[in-house]
Amino acid sequence: MYNTAMLTKDLVAASSKPLLLSILAGGESYGYEIIQKVRELSGGRIEWSDGMLYPVLHRLERDGLIDSEWREADTGRERKYYFISSDGRKALKTERQQWLAVHNTLSKLWKIKPVSI
Amino acid sequence: MENQTRFDLNAAIESWRQELAEQPSLASDDRRELETHLRDATAGFQQLGLNEEESFWLARRRVGHPRQLGEEFVKADPAKAWRERTFWMALGIVVFWELTQILTFAAGIALYYLFPSLYVLYMKSGFWPTDAVVLIIGIALARGWFAQSMKLMWFLKNRFRLVSLVVILALLLSLTQTEFSRERFLLNGHHPSVVAWAWAPWLENVRYFLLVYLAHFVAPLIFLVLLFPAQNQNVPKHT
Repeated sequence: MYNTAMLTKDLVAASSKPLLLSILAGGESYGYEIIQKVRELSGGRIEWSDGMLYPVLHRLERDGLIDSEWREADTGRERKYYFISSDGRKALKTERQQWLAVHNTLSKLWKIKPVSI
Repeated sequence: MENQTRFDLNAAIESWRQELAEQPSLASDDRRELETHLRDATAGFQQLGLNEEESFWLARRRVGHPRQLGEEFVKADPAKAWRERTFWMALGIVVFWELTQILTFAAGIALYYLFPSLYVLYMKSGFWPTDAVVLIIGIALARGWFAQSMKLMWFLKNRFRLVSLVVILALLLSLTQTEFSRERFLLNGHHPSVVAWAWAPWLENVRYFLLVYLAHFVAPLIFLVLLFPAQNQNVPKHT
């Protein structure tokens, strides 16, 4: 299934937390929409398998980083919406610093312009 | 390839839901969430121009095989399956116990008015006929004879509804402890607890009943559920 342009399993797993927190920091969302968004933003390079997303979301919820609520959507059906908590915003800040630290280190080695943290 | 029979999306989703229900690690809330996802994904493919059936099968594939889903959810929280099982088992026992008590009482009233001679026999029997009826119902349920109609049962859809049912039955049951019903029906019954409460005022009875109830069923239940705390594992690997 995977070609070289796609992320490895380990990297997909490691990046799921910052990705989910970042998406939810931009507004509440639900599983299907989140997957669509990740696929779109990554240009198809990050392909989350649909059913595997939920255990990750539930874990973040247990850790208190996100909250959820069943709510009726425009279609009339109920959907479980997730939104970020204040603890989640703090965690996202840390994640951001760590990922950018990795990014900047690699950037220096590869002689790409680093970004400000 | 054209299908002989018309594709029924709701039926297809229903059978998929049954497969999911076989996974102990998936709580009813998880299943509901996965179902909304499947419906969203199906609708998504339909918007791309695929027909309903193709969309459903693609969406189903995307969401993942029920067994794999179960495994992923277990990895995320291994104790969950046991918390779920304990919850439904414990409350199931409570509901059954309540139904036995209520049925005993209802049968008593019916016999008292309709067949007084049988009523005397019934009182002497120690109420075993109703116990037997409940036992048979229990075996039937366990064997899944009512599986089809069970799905339609509103109060079995989620935790909150099951707990509501327990509370409603408890209140109904406490009504059987009123002065009126005691005098007529259960005073000579073999249930010692019923005789023991016989002379206290009604409200006192209800209070006592609820306390006994809490001590016997709800407390062990809470204990059991706490016995299986949520465990934080590493993020499940994506496949």
